[in-house]
Amino acid sequence: MTTDTRSERRPTSTTFTRWLGAAVLAGLAWLALFGLVLSPNDRVQKTGVRILYIHVPTAWLAYLAFIVTGVCSVGYLWKRSRNLQWDRVAGASAEVGVVFMGITLVTGMLWGKISWGTYWTWDSRLTTTAFLFVTYIGYLAVRDLGGTHHQRARRSAVLALLAVLEVPLVHFSVKWWRPLHQQESVAEGKLNGLMMFTLFVGLVAFTLLYVWLVLHRQRAMAMDDMVADQGLDAALAERREEAVR
Amino acid sequence: MDLSPREVVPTAPGRKRKRPWLAMGVLAAVLIGGGVLVFQFLTNAIDYYCNVDEIGVKDGCDVGRTIRIQGVVEKGSVSEAGSGRTEFVIGYHGATMPVVVGSQPTGLFQECIPVVVAGKVVEDGGTRVFEGTEVIVKHDNNYDAENADRVDQANQEAAACSQKD
Repeated sequence: MTTDTRSERRPTSTTFTRWLGAAVLAGLAWLALFGLVLSPNDRVQKTGVRILYIHVPTAWLAYLAFIVTGVCSVGYLWKRSRNLQWDRVAGASAEVGVVFMGITLVTGMLWGKISWGTYWTWDSRLTTTAFLFVTYIGYLAVRDLGGTHHQRARRSAVLALLAVLEVPLVHFSVKWWRPLHQQESVAEGKLNGLMMFTLFVGLVAFTLLYVWLVLHRQRAMAMDDMVADQGLDAALAERREEAVR
Repeated sequence: MDLSPREVVPTAPGRKRKRPWLAMGVLAAVLIGGGVLVFQFLTNAIDYYCNVDEIGVKDGCDVGRTIRIQGVVEKGSVSEAGSGRTEFVIGYHGATMPVVVGSQPTGLFQECIPVVVAGKVVEDGGTRVFEGTEVIVKHDNNYDAENADRVDQANQEAAACSQKD
């Protein structure tokens, strides 16, 4: 009886993801401590610099998420077996990437208002980032256009391989064109020591959050597929039964 | 054998065939939004601004044309010009340009900070003035802790700001 109830509930969590969830909470608390209390104000931006600790990690994680989507799309298309697990991880990663990119854009706009004096302007980094965000919303819409699981997987994998080419475009836009957005700080060692450490804390916390979200979401997607398959099986069985009658 | 037409019943009660209207609507919005972004990128984002020393020299940085210019706010040049207007001078690579804007700039606007001003250059009796409509502060990529010990260093940097790129 207990086993049946458990199998019907089919939770997306495991012991590992529960521990990972606890680590995510600890990481975010650690980030709040360093980001809001222990890290210093910036000489020019004062306390406004603290947005950095969310803005930059979410941007990097969004890039990573979209690259993972691209890699998993290759994984799906590469093998003849066409394993749908690749597709589900690709879709889950894109969803989380879109959320993170949305956070990047919102925090960037708030930061822009504080430091630049405007929420938005059409410079190359901002425009390409918005384009990347819109592209992956399109990717998610394409996944939801209907058809069989494999039709969904094929068309979205092809789109993901094209969309991931935008990631280097966004990243190098501050070098290739003349932007309002600042140049790289981390790679060029332009951050104060404790600020850099706090940014690292943010990166760890958001990476754990990304992994936790993708694990849960791809399991939920697998269940959605299973429910859809069961609905189809039930409909087919019903028609067969009808034909026999 | 009963050949009368059978009654049509849904094969899965309560389940209608899913029409992806929402996804199609989102996709249409994405295509329109993407088009707008590409247009903005090609018209605004590539050459976001002209440097002060490029005015009247570089193609697209012409006098009388609506552009954005970039330079560093010269020390001691910021003043109120009445009627809520603000005047200051920006410099870049040795070239300077007086700027008049119709409002008080916001953000981190201050002396010795790089700014981008939208507007156009007008010639007034042989003197060029940039009539600005919007001032945006262009913060650099240096992050240093706020520290009282650095006041001397900050003063030295401020004194040398006119030579800043």
